[in-house]
Amino acid sequence: MFWTLVEQVLNGIVSGSVYAIVAVGMTMIFGVLRAINFAHGEYYMLGAFGAWVAVEYIDLPYPAAVVIGILVTALIALAVGWLIMQRIVGATAETGVLATLGVALVLQNAVIFIFGGSYKYFNGGYIEPVTIFGFMLAEQRVLIIIVCVLVFLALEAMVKLTWAGKAMRAVSQNPLCCEVVGIDVGKVVLQTFALGACLAALSGALTAPVNVTVYGGMGEIITFKTLPIIIMGGLGNVRGTFFAAMILGVAESLVATYIGLQYRDTVGFATLMLVLMWRPHGLFSTRARF
Amino acid sequence: MAFHIHRRSLLAMAGIAGAAAVVGPARAHRAEDGTIRIGLVAPMSGPNARYGSFSLRGAQLAAKEINDAGGVGGRKITIIPGDSQGTPTEGVSALRRLIERDKVDYVIGDVTSGVTLALQPIAEEANVLLLNAASSNPTITYRAGKGGMKWTYRNYPTDEVRALVVLKYAAEQRKLTKFSVLSVDSDYGRGAIAFTKKYLPRFNASIVTEDYYKEGEVDFRSVLAKIRDSGAQGILMYGLADTTPIIARQMIETGVAGKLPLIGNGEFNAEVTIKAAPRALEGAIEAAAWLPAWDNPRSKAFVAKFAAEYRESANNHAYVHWETTHLLAKGVAAAGSVDRLKVRDALSSIKYESAMGEVTFDDHNQARLPMVLLQIENGAPSIKGAVSGEIEYPRT
Amino acid sequence: MSTVARNGRDLRLPFVAVLAALAASLPWLLGSYELHAVIVALTFLLPAYGLNLLVGYTGLLSLAQAAFFGIGAYVTALLAIHFQTPFIVNLLASGLIAGLIAFPLGVPALRLRATSFVMCTLGFVIIGQAIAKNWISVTRGDMGLESIPRPSFPLGPFSFTVSTTTGFYYLSLVIAAVATLAVWLIVRSPAGRNMVAIRENETLAESLGVPAWRYKIIVFMIGAAFGGLGGALHAHYLTVVTPLTFQMQYSTTMLVIVLGGGPGTISGVIFGSFLFVGLSEALRVAPELRMIAYGLCLLAIVFRFPRGFAPLIDRAWRWIGGER
Repeated sequence: MFWTLVEQVLNGIVSGSVYAIVAVGMTMIFGVLRAINFAHGEYYMLGAFGAWVAVEYIDLPYPAAVVIGILVTALIALAVGWLIMQRIVGATAETGVLATLGVALVLQNAVIFIFGGSYKYFNGGYIEPVTIFGFMLAEQRVLIIIVCVLVFLALEAMVKLTWAGKAMRAVSQNPLCCEVVGIDVGKVVLQTFALGACLAALSGALTAPVNVTVYGGMGEIITFKTLPIIIMGGLGNVRGTFFAAMILGVAESLVATYIGLQYRDTVGFATLMLVLMWRPHGLFSTRARF
Repeated sequence: MAFHIHRRSLLAMAGIAGAAAVVGPARAHRAEDGTIRIGLVAPMSGPNARYGSFSLRGAQLAAKEINDAGGVGGRKITIIPGDSQGTPTEGVSALRRLIERDKVDYVIGDVTSGVTLALQPIAEEANVLLLNAASSNPTITYRAGKGGMKWTYRNYPTDEVRALVVLKYAAEQRKLTKFSVLSVDSDYGRGAIAFTKKYLPRFNASIVTEDYYKEGEVDFRSVLAKIRDSGAQGILMYGLADTTPIIARQMIETGVAGKLPLIGNGEFNAEVTIKAAPRALEGAIEAAAWLPAWDNPRSKAFVAKFAAEYRESANNHAYVHWETTHLLAKGVAAAGSVDRLKVRDALSSIKYESAMGEVTFDDHNQARLPMVLLQIENGAPSIKGAVSGEIEYPRT
Repeated sequence: MSTVARNGRDLRLPFVAVLAALAASLPWLLGSYELHAVIVALTFLLPAYGLNLLVGYTGLLSLAQAAFFGIGAYVTALLAIHFQTPFIVNLLASGLIAGLIAFPLGVPALRLRATSFVMCTLGFVIIGQAIAKNWISVTRGDMGLESIPRPSFPLGPFSFTVSTTTGFYYLSLVIAAVATLAVWLIVRSPAGRNMVAIRENETLAESLGVPAWRYKIIVFMIGAAFGGLGGALHAHYLTVVTPLTFQMQYSTTMLVIVLGGGPGTISGVIFGSFLFVGLSEALRVAPELRMIAYGLCLLAIVFRFPRGFAPLIDRAWRWIGGER
């Protein structure tokens, strides 16, 4: 009984790390843009698809395919950021919602148009299972957990120590003042957006081997999984997002174990509602952005 | 600014209005060139496009084959797609457009049962033949044919017979009596399990855990660990083709593979699936309406052509739409006319030689489909018998 | 009005008369497919009105409309199938129940700030679908409720049943007209002005004695009721209700209609409803590019007309009125 619980909590952490990498990008974008990015899951899809193309069409080894996936996404994100996201700065929340919905439709269906809507099999990655302290999981999942921790350490360091990170924090707190002191808000927004999209792409490319199939519409589910996490984590809060992702992963795992898998998708929102009733600003204060 | 209107904005508005006005004119003419127009309603955008895409490609391949062979009585076939996005509202819009604008006489569709149920009354009203090839909700045929809706035909199995045969084999040949359920959360997954439950007492079998996964779900570790510790001897799975390899791989991860076989339906036999996780699929039992490895020249030719044409391997959705298009063409040929009523009557009495065997329709316009029971042995499907039986319709 | 530069006679009344005549004669002008698209637009107009009261007048961005649309559809389906109730009963019951369910949902949700509120409302849709899927004894789960009877009006000797597309068009038109009148009465009332005050500055509105919270919960319930009405109409039209009715796509469609059309106006939302349904249908000419083009149009509209089409409509209206 007790070991079941331990195992399922660990399972939850394994899935939580996937959510964490996607969600942190979204929360950073929210920080600087104040816009819910309904297209965020699409960058996850682009990362996975980019890697798939690299493996299938160019015969690249998996690590190179991950890099290609991220690079392709970065280029697309820069274009989207330059054309669309920069214009959202200072616009109403409604504009942000409509624009990102539009971007999601375009990206998703452009991939379907180019590669066909069917699901594709992803070959690559390290899928052999390993046993760590009696707990079995695919090597790829170990890699995901390690990358997740590294990403968060790097992000913490970046926003605390580098100029670019400090600028992001500044813009997320007060874009107007940033203009006054000479920070190029548009540039910071573009950088943050591209970084967030790349993190989503990284997550997509890393999970593709364990998720086996990739398809154009795969991002939508991720978007809706990520939304409750970033709210729970306190919008724009990097550390909070990490813990919120883990909480969601564990809660989902426990629901699948003790209640039923069919209720899994509701867990995120049910948890969110409970959390919000108790703490209307999320578990982790939004005051401490990044 | 916002209240100040430039000519440019007026022009932009006119442009959008113009796009909307396309709704108005542009009426298609009923095929004067004698082409047979077949509408295909399926999800072609958004997440559900991953199923609709195979449907369209299957049907288009069939049309190409038929046309290359000279068409039906000299008439060519065109497949006209209509996007349903997997929602009833969009599906109805697509069907109405196909009927009125594109002047189709026959429609194949949809994949999602909820959409098909909404299409049925529209086809009925317009007297257009609706040939379903991928929805498993039993209600669709309960209310077709003798049930009232004369224009709906279904060339896709009802899961009652399938559920019974699979359960019988698992219980009698493999001596499995305790099952965990891990099916897709749809009318197909839930319906097949409901039928299975009906027959459990007959084999002294029981269900120990019951879980349904949402379409697009990718994380099964928790539920598989639960199943592993539940004392079940097999996993009853009526699932989706693209999810089976994901589950199979996580069965290896969680140590379920090799202990609990998969039992049910979900393209367990596909080469790609087995390749993804050979250890998990070994010993799997499946009742399939078709399998790529089926030893039949037409089937083999289809698999080869599909792979050559589209650079991907055919799946069940592709096959059923390919076969259904051929079936419809045969129906038109048998009727000797494109008259819908004659084609409908021809379908009711057709004896169609499919790649799997003879297909006929019962008085509920439901196809009696030959199915096979197979078991995965040494990484390849091995045929264990035929699946047959009449459907019991509820008395109303 | 004397200070307004005039360029001609006031043609507003004849214009409205022409519009009304056009609406009445539409079944003769359009084929059944086009009429169907109009029916869909009129149906979507109802939840869009509800959402407009929330987002356009009170400033609450909500994605819950599909949840109430679904509740309305299920209520109607269950009543019509099990009790053969007349259409008007189904319609009103759906609106009422959707509105009542909104109360316990709104109480905690409305305490939240903008983005958290949006997510909470999004959760209603996802949880609603889970209930529809799993409460099998009532909803039949994924099997859905099918063969919903055509709308019936048992009026003694004048009893009739709406069974044709044309009939359904007139039914939708009447309901949409009544709904328009209701929304117009709400927004023109002092309550409507208080709602706008809350949207513009909630704290200021409260300091002026507007009970903001009570307003918000009531508007949320009214918005939900409109969603329920739409669901009821749609269920009768499609004759089938499945868990697919609880779908994010419906919520985003409503949001696009309101925000793209012109939040905070009635004419903008009507225009938006016809524009976006029409656009989506018109783009079927290029099936493979359809949703890409739709997304691009959405982007173009957002940035070209950030306040929707309301200002344009307003200007056109004044032009028809003879102002320069």
